[in-house]
Amino acid sequence: MPTLVGVFSRPKDIGQLAEKLRGRGFTDLEIFSPVPSDELDRALAPGPSKVRYYTLIGGLTGVFTGYAMSVLMSQDWPLIVGGKPAASYAPYTIIAFELTILFGVLMTVLGTFLVGGLPYGKFGKTDVGYDPRFSAEEFGLVVRCKERDVAEIDALLRSAKAREVSLVEA
Amino acid sequence: MTPPPAVSVAELMRPARSGADSETNRDLLAVMDAPGLAYWGLLGFCVLLVHVAGAVWVYQVYEGLGIAGYAHPIFWGVYIVTFVFWVGIAHAGTLISAILYLFRSKWRNAINRSAEAMTVFAVLTAAQFLGIHVGRIWKSYFILPYPNQRGLWVNFKSPLVWDTFAISTYATTSILFLYIGMVPDLAIARDRAKGWRKLLYTALALGWQGTSRQWKAHNRTVLHLSGLATPLVLSVHSVVSWDFAMSIVPGWHATIFAPYFVAGAIFSGFAMVLTVMIPTRRIFGLERYITDYHFDNMGKFILLTSLIVGYSYMTEYFIAWYSGSEPEQTSFWYRAFGPYWISAWVMIICNAFVPQILWFKKARLHLPTLFTVSVLVNVGMWFERYVIIITGLSREYNPAAWNTYTPSAPELTILAGSFAFFGMFFLIFIKLFPVVAIAEMKELVIHEKEHQGEFWEHAHGYGETR
Repeated sequence: MPTLVGVFSRPKDIGQLAEKLRGRGFTDLEIFSPVPSDELDRALAPGPSKVRYYTLIGGLTGVFTGYAMSVLMSQDWPLIVGGKPAASYAPYTIIAFELTILFGVLMTVLGTFLVGGLPYGKFGKTDVGYDPRFSAEEFGLVVRCKERDVAEIDALLRSAKAREVSLVEA
Repeated sequence: MTPPPAVSVAELMRPARSGADSETNRDLLAVMDAPGLAYWGLLGFCVLLVHVAGAVWVYQVYEGLGIAGYAHPIFWGVYIVTFVFWVGIAHAGTLISAILYLFRSKWRNAINRSAEAMTVFAVLTAAQFLGIHVGRIWKSYFILPYPNQRGLWVNFKSPLVWDTFAISTYATTSILFLYIGMVPDLAIARDRAKGWRKLLYTALALGWQGTSRQWKAHNRTVLHLSGLATPLVLSVHSVVSWDFAMSIVPGWHATIFAPYFVAGAIFSGFAMVLTVMIPTRRIFGLERYITDYHFDNMGKFILLTSLIVGYSYMTEYFIAWYSGSEPEQTSFWYRAFGPYWISAWVMIICNAFVPQILWFKKARLHLPTLFTVSVLVNVGMWFERYVIIITGLSREYNPAAWNTYTPSAPELTILAGSFAFFGMFFLIFIKLFPVVAIAEMKELVIHEKEHQGEFWEHAHGYGETR
């Protein structure tokens, strides 16, 4: 499949172009960016990231685990002082709090791997069209298309102020 | 719009031009260049000191805790003082990374990476002191709730168990926070490195290419990690303070302890960041990235936290007097005018008085002054923990059990070793990983360029002629 790469120097150009291309039915797009940019995020995938669900699930698991572990373990090995109940919830809140954070953090990191397609998606290799320039200060838009659309996309890329357009795969 | 140029597929097929690199990448990756003799000398000194301290520790394991200066009833000495000190140092990194991130303070970008790294190394250093303090290191796993054949569980009402949970959560979180934030920069290094470094960065960069999917997940993750780390950082030193406040020792049993310790931790953490960053900036020529503006802000932070710490000292003394409780009053009188008066006054002068010079902008921008203040604050904060722990224990309720503690040579050697341990890791880190967050610095550079571009386009009608 022909793959075109346009190199841009400003994220604004690329964001608008990506939306335009999507509007014309060219949906097999990828953006390479050296810096995070809200515009670019919105251009390809609108809506908030799904990482938040991972954090929520992790946090809830943590708070439940924290209370359950401390209560069940103190019931199992009761240290009765002054005839009071073996489990005391106030200090166990600290355990529950710490585990909420711990599990939340671990699940968030898992989320970034799964949602972001890390790690080792293509270990040691890079996607077609990736260039070290995209970890410098330039932005890349990769478009996969049918052969008959190459000229049209090339023109669109150039009209959107691409500094350079190249066909990396025929 | 101009009509599309007539191009053939073959014409377009050409190898990608070898990439122009950005100045930011070059400058900031240059820090990792082959080190000079001074670096090796300093690293060698640190490694040597770590080994000396390690040997003393092995000797202590063999001999028992008798070689520490403990004197009944003072069984918490330099090791616990140093543990609390390093946990405190570990607070600045998360504060800079998480809290300032949530407040969208852009000035954190230049210093957040090094501060996060310091956090990780400080937590690792602190964690060791729990093992060193226990003496019988092979029994330290008793603090973990693990199933054993006696059906015995840990006591979840004990602050020491809370500490285990807080410190291990903090260590895990700060390591992951540092790493996740560093992934885009590791990809930058991967694209430019050769040899074994290429291999290392390829593995660690996890295949990062800066696709919008990756950035989107990354941004959300950093936001959530910041959100989680903010209450965590406040909880960790609160829990450490409760190791003391939950007891009935005069001078320890106070509700002010949690906020007082958290403010002190941030205070000492910022001071350590300055102590390390002022020489680092100079040695590696990072003046363009870590500017006077950053030091000015850090100076203000130190001043603010110094005021909080100074206020806490006053509150402690006031409440001791106002409480009418004789043990409490005696304890605080003894602190200031007893045999430990030097420590107490070092603490008060270094922490509450010396930083007042930072009211003056001239002082905040004069690096030798700022550096001196930061070192004195570190000294003062170590002594703060020393004063709290030692004076508290040496005069409890029963005068028959009063005693005086003097740190022994092995304890002081291990204390010195802890600084070497921290320094060793930081020195290795500086040469292996980007010490300034490159992608985040570049965000500022590109943002600036974008705005200049807009201005230019507007003024010259760039858009129409093209």
